[in-house]
Amino acid sequence: MSKMQIPLGPQHPALKEPENFMLVLDGEQIVDATVNLGYNHRGIEKAAENRNYIQDIYLIERVCGICSHSHVSCYIGAVEEIAKVEVPAIAKALRTIVAELERIHSHLLWLGVAAFELGYDTLFMYTWRDREQVLDCLELLSGNRVHYGMNTIGGVRRDITKEQVDEISKKIKYLKERTSYYVNVVTEEPTFLARTQNVGKLPKDVALELNAVGPTARASGVDIDVRRDEPYFIYDQLDWKVITYHTCDVFGRAVVRVLETIESYKMIEQILKAIPEGPISVKVPWKIPAGEAVFRYEAPRGEDIHYVKSNGTEYPERVKVRAPTLSNFQSLPYCLKQGYLADAVITIAAIDPCMSCTDRAVVYDINKGERKTFDQEELRKYSIEFYKKKGISFK
Amino acid sequence: MSEETIKEEELVKNLKEKFGDAIENVIIPRKNRVWMDINQNIALDLMKYLKEHGYYHLSTITGFDEGEKLGAIYHITDHKTILNIKIRTSKENPVLKSVLSVYPVATSYERELFDLFGIKVEGLPEGRNYPLPEGFPEGVHPLRKEVKLDELNKMLNEKSVKED
Repeated sequence: MSKMQIPLGPQHPALKEPENFMLVLDGEQIVDATVNLGYNHRGIEKAAENRNYIQDIYLIERVCGICSHSHVSCYIGAVEEIAKVEVPAIAKALRTIVAELERIHSHLLWLGVAAFELGYDTLFMYTWRDREQVLDCLELLSGNRVHYGMNTIGGVRRDITKEQVDEISKKIKYLKERTSYYVNVVTEEPTFLARTQNVGKLPKDVALELNAVGPTARASGVDIDVRRDEPYFIYDQLDWKVITYHTCDVFGRAVVRVLETIESYKMIEQILKAIPEGPISVKVPWKIPAGEAVFRYEAPRGEDIHYVKSNGTEYPERVKVRAPTLSNFQSLPYCLKQGYLADAVITIAAIDPCMSCTDRAVVYDINKGERKTFDQEELRKYSIEFYKKKGISFK
Repeated sequence: MSEETIKEEELVKNLKEKFGDAIENVIIPRKNRVWMDINQNIALDLMKYLKEHGYYHLSTITGFDEGEKLGAIYHITDHKTILNIKIRTSKENPVLKSVLSVYPVATSYERELFDLFGIKVEGLPEGRNYPLPEGFPEGVHPLRKEVKLDELNKMLNEKSVKED
């Protein structure tokens, strides 16, 4: 059977965001894969240079609809480092609560998406129903479900009340119970096991070489987590452990995520029991002294890294954002190769891709190994000619 | 030498012994952070040395425009300490060497350097743009300081109107 090439995306029912994979198939088996990104470049880094530090908080928060708190905390962490601001203990505690709620929200969302890709819609409905509970917690705390607007330079913007603590504790208790059920589903349900075990293999040495981060790396036995390796907020004062797994496949990535969710509940419970008192933020001047800093943050998908350079005015000189998905994409072609077409979607979903990415068509000649790229105009002409030959005319 | 930054100071000492004056302006602001400027000629050797010594992870490459010079910061880490290595190049003819032979993950980061700053990367294989979309005005590198936001918006809006 001859080899053929199938484009997966950028618009594809199984992909949640615009991304393109060129899969070369030999029968049902994938023999080569390339990832194409850049479909939705919004120019946020340029925009950030033209806004002041406070406006940038709200801009950076919109880098992502799921890890909004992650990006903004990472940016603020770098700014606070340059300005040498000491953040009050209560602000650190509240930031940690929101960060962990966000992780639970993201992991439950992922489990639902993964179940959906496997055709296991019951689990999808279950997890997304329970995810609403986390979103309710976030709404209760911040007033918003997605872009929380909790952070500001020097602290947080909202305090927490006794009633909120009680309500969140109640919801966390419920979620804990539900998640222990999901742990059973993920580790015991035959349908789930059959579709995930030995799929999308990423051995430890390859994960290291290709710079995998977050749950993708941890499921390949790479013991990294910024929360422990370089603690920020109050992670060094909490009792929790980094979850790693050794199976190096999609199953491992699912196990790591559900177990991490359990750790997040543990952390939130510890913080809610002893919330520090005092003012929630310190005043920071609008002008940030000249300097530069790099801040690392463990987002739900892995290490997020921001670089900020200030020039002594109220506008930053440069803001650079590197989201974890870009790092994880490097290892994806490896995971896809030698796998089957039917498993491609779950393998892609397993790194939990989250990106903002506009495309052109690529034609790949298997026999010659040549690649031709069409731009929009050429492609339009080609399609008109193609249909004309078939007797259909466009006027 | 403070106790907190022994590891960082040690690393800088070893690098200085090996590469001498090609390393300048070393700053260790706190634990786990090292900043340095290096000469482009030693870039690949230095990165090879770092990789052999546990610094296997290239987090990202940040391009920058300082007015007279362009450059890039390579953020290299062993997951504890981040080395931020700055390499500068002239604005008239900005060229940097590709680090793909040491860090195979650098492709998209290096494409970003060209798209956003117009820094040519020697040794980077041909490929599609990243992250700028197809049809973006040629020769415009949006993150350069001389590109003003208003002019950029005007240019992009006029272009899309013409195309329609």
